[in-house]
Amino acid sequence: MPVTVLIVDDSKLARIVAGKALAELQPEWQRLEASSAEQALDIVSDHPVDLAVIDFNMSEKDGLALAAELRMLHPTMPLAIITANVQDEVIARAREVGAAFVAKPVTAEGLKGFVSGAALRLRSKA
Amino acid sequence: MSADAISLTELETDALTEIVNIGVSRAASNLRKMVGAHVLLSIPAIEVVSQRRAARLISEREITQLVAIRQDFDGPFSGRALLIFPESNSLELVRAVTGGDLSPQEVLDIEEDTLAETGNVILNSCLATMANMLQRSLTMTIPEVLRGDGAKLFDVWEGSNSDGLVLFLYIDFAVRERDIRGYIAMLMDLPSLTALKTLLGEFIERIVGDDG
Amino acid sequence: MAEPPPVDPTAERLRAVLAAAGASGTWDWDIRGGRLYFDERFAELYGLNPADGHTGVRTGIFFSAIHSEDRARMKIAVAGIVGGAERFSKEFRVQSPDGTVRWMHGRGQGHLDEHDEPLRFTGLLIDVTERKRTEERLRIAQSAGGVGTFEYVDGFATATVSTEFCKLLGLHPTHALPVRTINGVVCDGHPPIIPDAEQHGVSGIEPLHGEFRILRRDDGSERWVARRGEIVRESETNGYRFIGVLYDVTAAKVAEARLQELNDTLEARVREEVVERQQAENALRQAQKMEAVGQLTGGIAHDFNNLLTIIIGNIDTVSRRLGAGGDPRARRSLENAQKGAERAASLTQRLLAFSRLQPLEPKPTDVARLLAGMSDLLTRSISEAISIQVRTPPDLWGIEVDPHQLENAILNLAVNARDAMPRGGALTIRADNITIKAAPSLPSYVVPGAYVEVAVTDTGIGMAPDTMAKVFDPFFTTKEVGKGTGLGLSMVYGFVKQSGGHVEIRSELGAGTTICIFLPRLAAGSEHTAEEPAITAELGRRSETILVVEDDDDVRVYTVEILQELGYRVIEAADGEAALRALNSGDTAIHLLLTDVVMPGMSGSELADRARVLRPGLKVLFTSGYTRDAIMRDGRLEPGLDLLPKPFTYVSLAAKVRALLDR
Repeated sequence: MPVTVLIVDDSKLARIVAGKALAELQPEWQRLEASSAEQALDIVSDHPVDLAVIDFNMSEKDGLALAAELRMLHPTMPLAIITANVQDEVIARAREVGAAFVAKPVTAEGLKGFVSGAALRLRSKA
Repeated sequence: MSADAISLTELETDALTEIVNIGVSRAASNLRKMVGAHVLLSIPAIEVVSQRRAARLISEREITQLVAIRQDFDGPFSGRALLIFPESNSLELVRAVTGGDLSPQEVLDIEEDTLAETGNVILNSCLATMANMLQRSLTMTIPEVLRGDGAKLFDVWEGSNSDGLVLFLYIDFAVRERDIRGYIAMLMDLPSLTALKTLLGEFIERIVGDDG
Repeated sequence: MAEPPPVDPTAERLRAVLAAAGASGTWDWDIRGGRLYFDERFAELYGLNPADGHTGVRTGIFFSAIHSEDRARMKIAVAGIVGGAERFSKEFRVQSPDGTVRWMHGRGQGHLDEHDEPLRFTGLLIDVTERKRTEERLRIAQSAGGVGTFEYVDGFATATVSTEFCKLLGLHPTHALPVRTINGVVCDGHPPIIPDAEQHGVSGIEPLHGEFRILRRDDGSERWVARRGEIVRESETNGYRFIGVLYDVTAAKVAEARLQELNDTLEARVREEVVERQQAENALRQAQKMEAVGQLTGGIAHDFNNLLTIIIGNIDTVSRRLGAGGDPRARRSLENAQKGAERAASLTQRLLAFSRLQPLEPKPTDVARLLAGMSDLLTRSISEAISIQVRTPPDLWGIEVDPHQLENAILNLAVNARDAMPRGGALTIRADNITIKAAPSLPSYVVPGAYVEVAVTDTGIGMAPDTMAKVFDPFFTTKEVGKGTGLGLSMVYGFVKQSGGHVEIRSELGAGTTICIFLPRLAAGSEHTAEEPAITAELGRRSETILVVEDDDDVRVYTVEILQELGYRVIEAADGEAALRALNSGDTAIHLLLTDVVMPGMSGSELADRARVLRPGLKVLFTSGYTRDAIMRDGRLEPGLDLLPKPFTYVSLAAKVRALLDR
């Protein structure tokens, strides 16, 4: 079964951009999209999701909260917080929840670190 | 309270200008990544004026229709940041950001979203960088796309005293190859200004050291 | 630690030369490594050892030579670069070891790595001391002279402006203004102050000089501003900068507008004056035309007169040669010819009068008497279908005119009146005292004063206004060819003008015409002087009967009419036989026999003898074209007999007849 990555961002553009970057790095991976934390949780409960990239600045529940929840459900799932909000505090909080921090705009270059790390972890898991 | 009572010293203005410079440079760098073209920046213009003056400055400056992405921020100092484009430019920006992958109809559908996301990246990176330089953190609202004239953009500002003073900041940018241009404007209220002065002083202290 | 080099006059001169040349020094700040590298020129400007520039120094050196007042500012600026800012553009003072302070402009940029972390800070340093001084002077000049500066980088939405620039446009002083705002103050119809290069291309900004009408943003006042600028190309970015100045030219524009207005009204005024002058010229030309025609006709008349003299003289000669016993038909023809020539002579008289070459002989004249004396002339000229009325007040003022010419004038008017009434009508000649007062509405040719007005009114066809305007023009006539020469009215005009008066016409098509002659009143006291006996016409009585015998029909008719006008009862006969028959009839008392001397058949004297036989006591008056002496020489007349020489006039006939009857 192919690796499935969940892209969570309320902006369609951001999802497209992230999708493109991921496709460039790992073309064979399957991509799923969610436009809110709620939707993301729904998808995760229905589908097998291997890793997720999550936008920090979302309405209702923000990305860090979602990341925390997902961490509890899937302790070893590779998670990345993507955001333009490159404040030190945000970076620190991402680390706390065990998520990587990727600055927007998302490029293949910017995601490379996280993606190769996640791929490695997933292979070793399998 | 007059403008003289709470104004920035020359050094404080310089410091603020630099911090804004860093923030905008980061934002420009991000915009470059998004549109894939060289971005030019102007030197920021900074002024402390009354809010009424600020509203008039805006209507003085902007007479026609604009598209703006607005983001309010809060923390040790609070305010409102705007990324402003002339309406004619906004679709060009969308096309630049989405690349050649989307059909014209898809581009239209995604316009609002794209503007919001672009504003998000730019304003966030600018404000976040500034916060980092001042060694504090800010919370930011979700960016909102507005259309209207200049007066409309700045007139209503909840929670602020209409007689208050504002810090009026203004940076011009241009993407020549793509025919995109606009500017970033920021307003901060009086209490924020006081807090800002303190933070700037600390920053100056760190940088200048014994030469201050 | 590098030692400051010793003061070297040569080095100093070199520095000055390089400064003038604008040569720049370069630096390279390694942020990661914490080292500062620089070149010789930089070393020179900073007063450092060039060798140290290659090996590198601690980064703090960057601030060491900077003037203490600028150091804090510069530290902040560099902090920006180190923090991730991209652009660095600052002016600061550098103090050399010997104490001289120079202004530097440092332009640099921060280089980031792939993670947007600052890597290097490089830049150029230029000595701008001279430029600073110039700028200072410029700044002073700007605010003193009201000159604002601007700099626009193409593609940007804003332009960098000076305080003065904002003030000129009535905007809040600031460093940067949106192009939109700057162009927003310009009035409709004017191009933008900072044009959109995309629409026009860079060449669209030519010409770089322009004038714009603006509405100031602060007070809404209308001003004119002038812009002068130039395009500077930016090779690195393939764009350009538009740099320029703006200054207020309202005063000059207002003056220009006022001058323009003055110019426009000047044209209008000139036009008005030209029209006036043309009118005056037209009037003058008209008068000159009249004058010329007058002179022309005068000349012609003169020549005519001479020719007529020859004609008349010769006819006279032939007539005499023919003698009394000549072919009567031949004689008749000669007489006709003579009459024709005399009429021609009379006409030339009028022409001469018109041309004013005939000197007028003004005399004190009683118009009422003159009019009365003209009645025969008038009746002869007017047909029976037209009624004549002459009205004069008893206290009519006297005037001083040539009476003969006045008669001519009135006769002319009467003839015209007659011609205007082909189916009959009424002719009225009226004289009145008139005082003309000065008034703004008075035409320029009317002099206020006391006048005698002689008005000739007819109930004829009238005239249209354009006819009225030309009616006094010589040779202007509405009559058919052969009827009238068209000279009459122009002569009236000439005579009246020469007599110091003026003429007025009132006419209505289909209703009639009145022509009024105004002649100046003779000053009181000089009236009733020198009344010539010729003016008086002795009138006759119905109880007195005169037998007129004349073989010439024309002369006989003329004589009969005059006598009838004078009030006598007249019997006429064409020859001696008829006369005797009349005398024989016995039923009428005949008081006077008026007879021509020279007649075919019975001569006048023979008739007179036989008449006296029939009616003793009959008075006889002879008329003759021949002189008394001539008649007596022929022995035809006894001396002491009364002779009325021909041509006799109305008055002379009247006088002689009266005198004879009263004897």
